[in-house]
This record gives sequence, structure tokens and C-alpha cells, in this order.
Amino acid sequence: MSTSSPILTVRDLCIDLFTARSALRPVDQVSYSVAAGETLAIVGESGSGKTVLNFAPLGLMPLGVSIHVSGSIRFDDKELVGMNDEALRKLRGGSIGVIFQDPMSALNPARTIRRQIAEVAELHLSLTSTQAEARALDLLKMVRMSDPEARLRQYPHELSGGLRQRVMIAIAIAAEPKLLIADEPTTALDVTVQAQIISLLKDLQKRLNMAMVLITHDMGVVAGIASRLAVMYAGRVMEYGPVQTVLTAPRHPYTMGLIDAIPRAEDLPGSAFRGLPGMPPVLGPPIPGCAFVERCRHAVATCETTRPLLAPTADRHVLAACPIVNRSSEALHAG
Amino acid sequence: MPADTALLKVENLVTRFKSVERGKWVKAVDGVSIHLNPGEIVGLVGESGCGKSTLGRSIVGLEKPQSGRVLLDGVDLGTLSGRKLRETRRAIQYVFQDPYASLNDRQTIGEAITEALIIHGVSDHTEQRRRILELLDQVGLPAVLAERYPRELSGGQRQRVAIARSLAVEPRVLICDEPVSALDLSIRAQVMNLFLTLQKELGVACLFIAHDLALVRQAASRVYVMYLGKVIEGGGSLDVYARPGHPYTSALLASVPSADPRIEALREAPVLKGDVPSPTNPPSGCRFRTRCPQAMEICAVNEPATVALSSDHSAACVIAEQVHRGEVIAPKVH
Amino acid sequence: MKFLRAFLSTLAGMPKVAVGAVAIFLFLGIFAPWLTPHDPNAQDLLQANQDMSISHWLGTDHLGRDTLSRLIAAARTSVVGMSLVLILALSVGVTIGTIAGYRRGWVEEGLMRIVDVGLAMPSLIVALAVIGIFGTGYWNMILALALAWWPGSARISRAVAVNVMNRPHIESLRVLGASPLRIYFKHLLPTTLGAVLVYATADAGAVALAIATLSFLGLGIQPPTPEWGQMLVDALPYLEASPRQVILPGLALTAVVIGFNLLGEAVALNRVPTPLSAKILRKRQLTAALWTREAA
Repeated sequence: MSTSSPILTVRDLCIDLFTARSALRPVDQVSYSVAAGETLAIVGESGSGKTVLNFAPLGLMPLGVSIHVSGSIRFDDKELVGMNDEALRKLRGGSIGVIFQDPMSALNPARTIRRQIAEVAELHLSLTSTQAEARALDLLKMVRMSDPEARLRQYPHELSGGLRQRVMIAIAIAAEPKLLIADEPTTALDVTVQAQIISLLKDLQKRLNMAMVLITHDMGVVAGIASRLAVMYAGRVMEYGPVQTVLTAPRHPYTMGLIDAIPRAEDLPGSAFRGLPGMPPVLGPPIPGCAFVERCRHAVATCETTRPLLAPTADRHVLAACPIVNRSSEALHAG
Repeated sequence: MPADTALLKVENLVTRFKSVERGKWVKAVDGVSIHLNPGEIVGLVGESGCGKSTLGRSIVGLEKPQSGRVLLDGVDLGTLSGRKLRETRRAIQYVFQDPYASLNDRQTIGEAITEALIIHGVSDHTEQRRRILELLDQVGLPAVLAERYPRELSGGQRQRVAIARSLAVEPRVLICDEPVSALDLSIRAQVMNLFLTLQKELGVACLFIAHDLALVRQAASRVYVMYLGKVIEGGGSLDVYARPGHPYTSALLASVPSADPRIEALREAPVLKGDVPSPTNPPSGCRFRTRCPQAMEICAVNEPATVALSSDHSAACVIAEQVHRGEVIAPKVH
Repeated sequence: MKFLRAFLSTLAGMPKVAVGAVAIFLFLGIFAPWLTPHDPNAQDLLQANQDMSISHWLGTDHLGRDTLSRLIAAARTSVVGMSLVLILALSVGVTIGTIAGYRRGWVEEGLMRIVDVGLAMPSLIVALAVIGIFGTGYWNMILALALAWWPGSARISRAVAVNVMNRPHIESLRVLGASPLRIYFKHLLPTTLGAVLVYATADAGAVALAIATLSFLGLGIQPPTPEWGQMLVDALPYLEASPRQVILPGLALTAVVIGFNLLGEAVALNRVPTPLSAKILRKRQLTAALWTREAA
């Protein structure tokens, strides 16, 4: 799959979240890795922990919440777990670029586009303000902004959603990061604009040779941009492998259900929608057995008590956390 | 068009808002005519700002149209007022996008449904009780939820409660404004199937407003496509999706990413450039011409007439017939 | 019961000093007749200007009246006056504000222009003008202050009401065909009132201060009714001989005003999350420590 060694390696990451009301574990023993030039998509529903997973270790958490992170996150030969705030701040916007779902709330409404981009360039590339502003123009050209000189003088509210997201991307890549984390970068956008942003992200990744972690719930976006895929459910990785294999031949019952639920061209109007029964579990303490057991057609008694861990399936490149689908591969190894 | 038998008919509706620019108006809905037959699910698709929600809100009276007519069973709602209008319009109900905000958090589920029943004139307590249980059952919720508060429910459950409450007044039309886009992927199918069941069992007609083209295709028998306040295409879902007559519809369909990586690998550059123009100053002539790969000089001069492509399929484009026949292949844009 | 618990849990998150000051003020105000050790108006010239003693804990004033009793009785004057002003101002303000918020259009424009005129003039100036026209007296003061305060609550009510009217839950009632009266009285008014009462907390301190100010100027509470502003005036000539008589009512007034202001600020900032306290954090960590972690 990946020829170069990974730039980001996450091992057994657990994140406990403490709020005034309760203690939760939104991320439960998650492992993955991304290499330069590669895109990992993390797919999951709301409450699956996909956002906390990426942002908590970078020190991006709302006020009023305390976290405890255990496990290991190695980025560019540095350990992020336990790193102090000052060092993390240098990484954010520096060698790690971040794109948020809602560009309007991530941008400062009272400052021009020029200032907002230049600020990042000044901070992380130690440029003078004139150099940084020149760089801002280059960056807007890089994100294929129409009429970039005029855009520099504008304020975020004067731009459309698609243009704002381009500004966000320009800020994220200002310091030529080695890793780009994109949290639902196209969810708030219209489908015709979404296609433009995806193509832009693909192009930038190639040019800058960045590793990219894309958090999304849209399998279409995943298919278009990612090379590998981690499917999360209730804070755990259910299936992990190359996009081609996981999307076309899913192994885990949850992944199967998700992909099966996507309407297909041959579905007739008025025909019933395919989906999963039941509801995803509410975020809380770790679930003793398999988190998906209540909604799973194949569940057996042990699924309720023993938590299945990620293990290779018959296709060695795909890992799935399900003893039922893994049984065949175990038989293979034994034989 | 078979509009004589239509249950709901919208004729030349215009709804405008004050623009942020002083003295200017934005025509969010600019002369739209659509119809809905009894028991039919019709889709209304388009990108944000195309006016699809405003159209839905104007039909139920949440926005005041500037001109045009809304007819229910041939009765022009504009000629009614006060109590008579409220009672007549009650037959059209609205399902909101955000299930977290459409219920009053101080009312239990039972109280919320009871209020709808009282408004509908059901004042007997035992009858109210019976109807609540019946309605909860119809939307697939257990009776115990009647005692709960909205904050104790999940998004999918709240959306079902909101639907149950609309059903309390025995509507004939449901206008569903992005009813599943705030819900989790694995829950969407459940709520979509609920709409299909309600349509089959109660004969409720639905106007399904959504940006998710695939959802609409599977749910609706007919579909309207809106762009900048105008309906630019309308017809049977299968026909519109398979052989669109408007370059915009064609581009919209081509932009939807496929979940199949083999198809995505073949994807070329995006079909459309740029964003939707501001509705404050819509382009002259055809509103889509600024982004249209096939735009010609005439498009800037005249607003294109609606071309009938089959008995129930029409599109507002000068080359609609060629597009429909597949003779126009969208050029690649960089 | 549920309401009480919700109320108490909200209080628990407020600054303790402010809650304490306001609670003592309200308690003294409500139960004053049973708490005063002496009749606050009983003069005893033989006991005038006494220092602290067993029978008069905080001494006596120049007419030999018990200072502690007068301070407590003054709290009552203040609580009653403040409540009357707020009730009157809120009734007018909320009514006008919610009507404007419900009926948008020209009704709203008209009502809000009247409110703007009211807001353009400082509250105390309005009050002074009204008293100047109608003369001094208890009810004139209450009416004057209510007249000065209603535009503020009208403005807030309108803002809240407009917001409430645009919420989908009200819109869905309109679609259901609920009558305007039902929407107004069952949904709009209770929700708006709840929100506006919260803002009124911050105003309460300012009203208490205004009552004291008017009384200090001789335009509000008339002697011999005990009132903090009034007590300050009475004691001023004896400032050097017994500064305590000036300091005590001053302190009481300051505590109440600061208490209400802190409370108002805390209520306004209630939505802003604060970091977890060390105690809760330890408790949560303990919970998490018990969670099993299987070996990978």
C-alpha cells in the first residue's frame, strides 16, 4: 500500500473525556498510520469519536472539558501524547494544517483575508509582514481562487461558502504542512462546489506531498480522494484497509450495512430504503463486548461479552474487528 | 400537465426578501409553478440559496408570498383569512430539518401531540389518549415515550415525534424540508421508509425538499429542479435522472460523488466552475448561463422558455431537446 | 419540586459571595418585622449617638433609634420598593416587547420608536423629571422609576420574542393552525418572561441604588421610614462624631448592588463553560481508572 514509512502513527490511542456530568470514552484503542502523499479517510456517524480522535491530541477541545489521552501518537518522529501546549501550538498550523467543517466560524469576521493568511505565514515561516502578504497572494492562487488580488481585500462574510473554504485551505497549507487534517471539509457545501474542493484537495496533496487525514461521513467523498479507510463506530475502529477493497467488498457487518444503505442507480422510485436497524449507542463508558452487537444480524453470545480486536481478514490488507468474519481467515492460518 | 386533478397547485409564486443592500429585494422564489397529485411523493432539489425551502415555507404560510397563488383542492388559499385559512391550510403540514428545535423543550412528547390534537378540535381526554398511542405507533415509537421530554430522545426519535404531531391534524400534504439531513447515516433509511409507509397507508402526499439527489430519486416519483429562484426542470424521476433536459441538472447529477472507487477513479475535473451567483443580482436571461458549459449569446438576452420533452418532462433551456437526447456532452472545464 | 431542584442547581454554579449577599438582603427584607430587636422608629433621645453595646449591637443614631433595627427595616423598604418597580416595569415592558415581537411590521416599528425615545434618556433623569412634575411621595417615586425602567425591559423582551417566534417549534405551531392567542399566551409569553426575568436580576441592583439615590436627595422615601439613602443623609452631620452611622448603610447598599450585579453577570455568562473543578475532575478520573483496558 504505502511505499514510504508513515509520517503519523497512532497506536492504541484511548481518549477519556471528563465533563461536569460524566466520564466518557469517545476514542477506545484506535490504531492507524498515514504516510506522506497518502490520504486516510476516517468514516463514522456523529458520536463515533472521529473528530475527538483527531483534535484532542492537538489540544483542540472545548472549554469545560478535560481529557486524558493514553497510547501513542508519533508524528514526524515526535511523540504528541504528553507534549506540552507550547510545542503543540507550534505544530498546529505549522507542520500540521487543519481544515474545519464550518469555515465561517473558523475565520475571524473582522479581519481581511490577506491578514488572516499572512498571520499564519508570519508565525510559522518567520516572514516579515510584507513577505507574508506576498505569500498570501500566492496561496490564494494555489487554491485556484478567482480574482485573488480582489479577494485579499475582502472580509469572510463577503465570500460564498465555497470561497471561504478555499481561504481555510489556503491558511491550512500556508506553512507547507506535512500533515493536513480535514474535518468534514465539504459537508456544508453544495454538491457542485464540493466536487471543486475535492479536486483541489487532491491536487494540493500531490503538489505538496502531504499526508492527509480526512474525517467524513460521505462515502462518495471517500471514494474520490482517499487511499485508505478506517470505519469507526462508538469510538472504535471496526474495519481498516485500502479504500478499493473496503468499499467494494466490506467485511465488517457495520461497514456492510453502511455501504448497503447508499441508494443505488437500480433502486426504483418508491422502493424501500435499505438501512441498519436500531440506533448507535450513546457516548459513555467503554462497552464490554462489541459495540455493534445490538444492531448486528450475525451476533452470537460471545459478541456481548468479549470485545473483538482488529485482526487481519482473509484479505491480509484488510483488518476487521469481528470474530465472525475473521473465522474464515483463522481457519486459513491454521490450515 | 394533469394539473386538474392536482391536490396542491402553486401558480407563479413570487416570494421576496429585503436584501442586506439598502432598498434592494431578493426574489428567493421567482415565479414558480408546481403541482402535487393526491398521495404522490414529489422531490424538490437544488443547491443552497435556490429558494427550495422558501417555496416550501411560502406554501404553508411561514413566508408571505408577494404574488402568485397556492391552491388546495382548487381553493385559492389567498382568498381565505383568519380562522378559515388556518383550518384549511392545516391540511398541509411541514416537517422541519432540525428535529432538535422543532419541539418545545418544556413540553413532554404527549403534551406536544395533545396540543396538536386540541388545535384540531379533539377535546375528549380518552380520545386524545387513544390518538396519541395510535400516532406514536404509526411513526414506530413506543408508547412510553409520551411521558418523556424531547431532550431525552435521539435525533431520529425526535424527527418521528415531529412527524407524529403533524399527523395529529390529519394532513393530506406533508412538506418535508431536508427531513433526514440532520440525522445519522444509519438512521436515515428508517425515517425515509417511514415517509414511504405513511404515503402508502395514509395516502399522504409529500413534497420532499432535499439537496441529496440520490435520496430524492428513490423516494419521489416526480422531481423538480430549482436554480436561483426558478424551476428549471421537472418530470418523472427516472426520466430526469437518466436523461436530464437542462445542462444544470446534468451537471448536478455528474457532481454527485459515487461510493464506488472504480467509478471515482475515472472522474475528470469538476463539471461546474465557481459558486451560485448572488440572488440579489441574478444574471440576465438564463440564470444558469454564467456557469453553463453550453452558454451561447442568446442565453444572456432572453429568459429561455420551458420546452416539453415528454408528456410530463420539461426543461427551461434553449437546447433542452439536444441535452435530453444526449447529443450535448458537457465539455471539460479546468 | 423539579423546578426547585433546577433552581438550586443553577444557584450552585453562581459566585457564592453574590448569592450570599442577595440571599441575606432578601431574607432580611421579607422577615424584617420579626428580626428587628427594637422598633426601628422608636426614638429615645437619652440614648442618642451611643456606641455599640449589648442592647444596641450597632449603637444608636442621633435620635436614639437602634441602628441595627433601622438597617434591617431599611432592607425591607428596599426589597418592597425594588419589587414594585420591577413588577411594574416588566409588566409594561414585556407586554409591549412581546406584542412588537409577535406582530412585526408597522406595529413593531411604532412601539420600538417609543421605546427608543425612552431609552435615549438616562433613567435617573426621567425619574427626577417625573417627581419634579408630580411631587415627592412613595408612589410617585415607584411610578417614576417604573417609567424610567420599562423601555429597557421592552427592548430585551422584543429581542427575545423575535428569536422565539423564529424558532421552528413556534413555526410548527403556526403550521398546525394554532390560534394567535394560543401561540402568544401558551408559548411566546412564558418563554420570553423566563428569559427576561434573568436579565432583570442585573437591573435589580440598579433599581435599589436609584431608590437610595432619590431618598438621599429627599425625593424618594420620606422620613421617618428607614431607608439606607435616608439614613446616610441623617447621619452626615455627625460624620466625624460617629462615622459608623454613615459607613454601615453605605456598606449595606454597596453589598446589595455588587451582589445583584455579580449575579446578573454570572447569569448572563451561564452558558459559557468553565474548566472543571479539581474535585469533579478527580472523581471522573477515578471512574475512568476502573474501566478495563484489554491488551492489544
